[in-house]
Amino acid sequence: MTQINLKKTEKYIWLGFDGLLVLFFGGDIQNLISGRLFGIPSIFTALIVAAILGILLYLWIRHMRNCQENGKKSVGLRFLETVHKYRFLIEQLVSRDFKIKYKRSVLGVFWSFLNPLLMMSVQYVVFSYLLNVRGDVPHYAVYLLCGIVIWSGFNDCVSQAMRSIIGNAPLITKVYVPKYIYPMTKVFSAFVNVLLSMIPLLLLTIVYGLFQTPVLMLTNAVLLLPFGLLMLLVFCMGMGFLLSSLMVFFHDVEFLWSVVSSIWMYATPIIYSLSMFEDKGADWFIKLEQANPMYHYIQFIRTVILEGTCPEPLEFLFCAGFAVIMFFVGFLVFKKTEDRFILYL
Amino acid sequence: MSEENRLMLRISDVSMKFRMEEDRSASLKETIVNLFRGKLKMKEFFALKHVSFDVYKGEVIGIIGRNGAGKSTILKIISGIMKPTEGNVVRNGNIVPMLELGSGFDMDLSGRENIFLNGAILGYDKEFLHAKYDEILAFSELNDFIEMPLRNYSSGMIMRLAFSIATVVEPEILIVDEILAVGDEKFQQKSYERMMELMGGGTTVLFVSHDMNQIRRMCNRVVWLDGGTVRLSGPTEEVCSQYKL
Repeated sequence: MTQINLKKTEKYIWLGFDGLLVLFFGGDIQNLISGRLFGIPSIFTALIVAAILGILLYLWIRHMRNCQENGKKSVGLRFLETVHKYRFLIEQLVSRDFKIKYKRSVLGVFWSFLNPLLMMSVQYVVFSYLLNVRGDVPHYAVYLLCGIVIWSGFNDCVSQAMRSIIGNAPLITKVYVPKYIYPMTKVFSAFVNVLLSMIPLLLLTIVYGLFQTPVLMLTNAVLLLPFGLLMLLVFCMGMGFLLSSLMVFFHDVEFLWSVVSSIWMYATPIIYSLSMFEDKGADWFIKLEQANPMYHYIQFIRTVILEGTCPEPLEFLFCAGFAVIMFFVGFLVFKKTEDRFILYL
Repeated sequence: MSEENRLMLRISDVSMKFRMEEDRSASLKETIVNLFRGKLKMKEFFALKHVSFDVYKGEVIGIIGRNGAGKSTILKIISGIMKPTEGNVVRNGNIVPMLELGSGFDMDLSGRENIFLNGAILGYDKEFLHAKYDEILAFSELNDFIEMPLRNYSSGMIMRLAFSIATVVEPEILIVDEILAVGDEKFQQKSYERMMELMGGGTTVLFVSHDMNQIRRMCNRVVWLDGGTVRLSGPTEEVCSQYKL
C-alpha cells in the first residue's frame, strides 16, 4: 500500500475547515452579533460549535497518524489513501465526462448556463401567466431558478451515477479499480454543472433585483452557499451509491427511478411555495415536507439568495443530517454488494 | 530470503463458486414472484476447487488447460477483479492485467486524451505518463493521427495504440491472456518482440495460452488446470510432455 504524506493532507484538511469557518462567519455576521441562541449570544454558540468540530477533527487526524505509524488500518486513512492513489484516475474520468458532454455542440459549455435559464423562462411564463401557480411569491423568477438549478442538478447527478456501474461493465470485468470510483466520479462531473449553473443564478439575481422595488440585493449571506452545495453533493453521492448498486441486480431501478423522481419533483416546492398550503389550511403537507431532503436544500439556497439571511440553525442540521445519513446508507449498501457485482454484470 | 526468489504471489486454497440460476431473473418482479413460488433454485458449480500455487520473482508461469478449465477465472481472481468464494491471494507488487486491449477507450476522445485516460485506468500516475508520452506515441506509429478522435481510427490503429499504452510500464507482475500480436505484419513482429522483452526483463509473468510452442519457449514453470483443479504443476517440459488435449 502506498504511504501518503499525511502532513500535506493535514494541511489541506485544516485549510478546508478554516475556509468553511470563514465563509460561515462571514455569511452570518449580522445574525451572529445581534441574535441569541440557547440564551447566549449566537456568536458564542457558533464559536463553541466550531471549537468542538475542530477538536474532533484534530483527534481524528491524530488517530490516523497513529494508525499510519503503527501500520494499523483505519477507515479514514484507507479512504484517503485510495483517493490519493487514484486521484489521477478520478481527474481523468471527470474531465472525460465533461469533455464528452459538449464535444459536438457549437455552444459547448454555454449550455450549462443557457439550459437552466431557458427552462426557467418557459416555466416562468407557464406558471406565472397561464396557470398562476405563482401566488404571492416575491421575485418569482429567481425563486423558480433556485429550485430548477438544485433539482435538475440533483436529478442529473443521481441518474448519471445510477448507470455508472452498468455503463462501465467492460472495464469493471477487466481491470481492478475500487468500484466506488465510478459513481463518485459521475457525481463529481455532474456537479461541475451545478457549480457552473450558479453563475446564471447569481447573475439573474443581480440583474433582476435591480428592477424590483425594493431592490433585491445579494448580501454576504451568499457566502453560505457553499455549505448548501457541499451538503447536496454528499447527499447525491449517497443516492448514487445506493441506486448504482441496486441497478446491477435489478435493471428495473432505472424505470422505477424515473417515476419516483417525477413524483418527488412534484412533491418538492420548486414551482409552487408552501405558503399556498398554509392559506388552504393543509398544514399536514408542510409537516410532511420536513421529511423531504430536497425541500431543505432548495430552501437553504433560497433563504441565502432571496432573503439574504442565514438559514435557521435547525436548517443546517437538517441539511447536514440528511446528507450524512444518506451517504452512509448508500456507502454501506454499496460496500456490502460490490463483491457480487461481477457475477451480475 | 534473497531478492532472487522473493515470493510475488501466493494463491492458497482458492475456490470459486458460481451460481447458475435456472432461469435467471433479471427483474425485481420476477425475483419476487419466484421467491414466493419457492422457485429460486440455483445450480451451484465450482469454476475453481482448492487451487494453490506460489509464484516467485522473475518467473514466467504458463497456465494451460482446456476451455472452461478455469484459466480466465484464476487470472481474474489474481488481478483482484473477482473475490474468491474461499481461500485468498497474497500479492506483493503491482499487477498490470493485459486481458483485453482497449477496453477503457472512449471513442469521442482523441488519441492523446485516451493515452491519459487509459493509462490512469491501468494505474499509472500523471508524471509517469507525461514522461512516457513520446515513447507511447513513437511505438504506436500514429504520428499526427494522435489528435484525432478515436472514432475515426481504423481498428488496427486502435489496437496499436492500446498495445503501446499497455506495454509501456515495467510492472512487477504482468498478466497476459493469450499473447498479443496486433496490427499488420510489421507491427506484429514489433509487438511480439516487445512482449518478449517484457517477459525477459525480470518481470513476473502469468501467461495463458493454447499454443504449446509458445509455452515451451517462454515459461519456466507450467500450471495445468483441469476442471477447476490443478492437475499438474512443475517445470515446463515435465508438464508439457504429459499434457494432451
